[in-house]
Amino acid sequence: MNYKTSEIIVGLFVLIGIACLGYLAIKLGKLEVLSDSGYTVYADFPTVAGLKRGDPVEIAGVKVGRVESMGLADDRARLVLRVDDGVKLQEDVIASVRARGLIGDKFVLVSPGASDKIIPPGGRIRETESPPDIPDLIGKLVGGDLTSKVEKQTP
Amino acid sequence: MIPNDKRFWFAISAVVLATWTAAASVSAGVPTEQIRSTVDRAILVLKDPRLKPAAKTKERRAQLKQILFGRFDFTEMAKRALGTNWRRRTPKEQEEFVQLFSELLERAYADIIESYSEEKIIYIGERLDGGYADVASKVLASNGAEYSLNYKAHYVNSEWRVYDVIAENISVINNFRSQFNRVIAKSSYEELVRRLREKAEFGAAKR
Repeated sequence: MNYKTSEIIVGLFVLIGIACLGYLAIKLGKLEVLSDSGYTVYADFPTVAGLKRGDPVEIAGVKVGRVESMGLADDRARLVLRVDDGVKLQEDVIASVRARGLIGDKFVLVSPGASDKIIPPGGRIRETESPPDIPDLIGKLVGGDLTSKVEKQTP
Repeated sequence: MIPNDKRFWFAISAVVLATWTAAASVSAGVPTEQIRSTVDRAILVLKDPRLKPAAKTKERRAQLKQILFGRFDFTEMAKRALGTNWRRRTPKEQEEFVQLFSELLERAYADIIESYSEEKIIYIGERLDGGYADVASKVLASNGAEYSLNYKAHYVNSEWRVYDVIAENISVINNFRSQFNRVIAKSSYEELVRRLREKAEFGAAKR
């Protein structure tokens, strides 16, 4: 069977196109095919409202890892974070779930600590901070806490 | 006959609440007990009518300080609040920083603590993890509002000492850590100490 040169070129372009699409899908979907670089640590939060798999882990605004998976452990949210090799997390780092702006994308902010001990791969970040419930806080600040069940006792 | 009186129902609910909190206290562990006893002693001082007048503020603060200093680990708090910069400081600088930091905490929280008025505090659970404990409590204000207040404590010299307080999901230490880091990143550690000192002097002058 004989192929014309033009047919071969068309075929090649189609293949390249498919490869590009696959690359884009992986990049945009934040799927990591080769995810073995870095090491994992885990952290338990009271709530991680709005955080998704693949969201970044940052120190001082620099991405140093990502959320690899999340699940439940003892009624608390347990995040597994994959952190880049070479990034050392002290034992007293504080991991907090933050949003960019009031309602922006969520990420995990890690603030470096003072301890001499380093969290080993597979270790746990003990200090965590969940995102404050902004509407709830505003409600309490404004004064009338609508969610409370107890009425004020009038003497 | 059941008196259809508001007061009667109030008494009933008070008894129920008392037994409920008593039952909860039975299951509480050592960290909770130690923190509870400290908080209770502080509340006794706050409630003491003899210490209420403005002229007695100094005496009251001194008593509160004595109670709280035993339970709160200010060195550990200062260390954690300073973060990475702690290790770059000399022991003498660290000591000075601990002093400035505890004064800062006192100024920031004394008024809040002293605004206490008949809030109920219930302890809802604790988590133990080796030498670390996380004690969860709730503050019930008289207007019905609820606030979560968690204590993080570690075990040193056969005592549980608090190194962080998390109010409504906001960590006191993390709050200071980010502020301090911002000042240090923008200018320097010396500038941070200068500002803390300035605030301390200002606070002392105001008193």
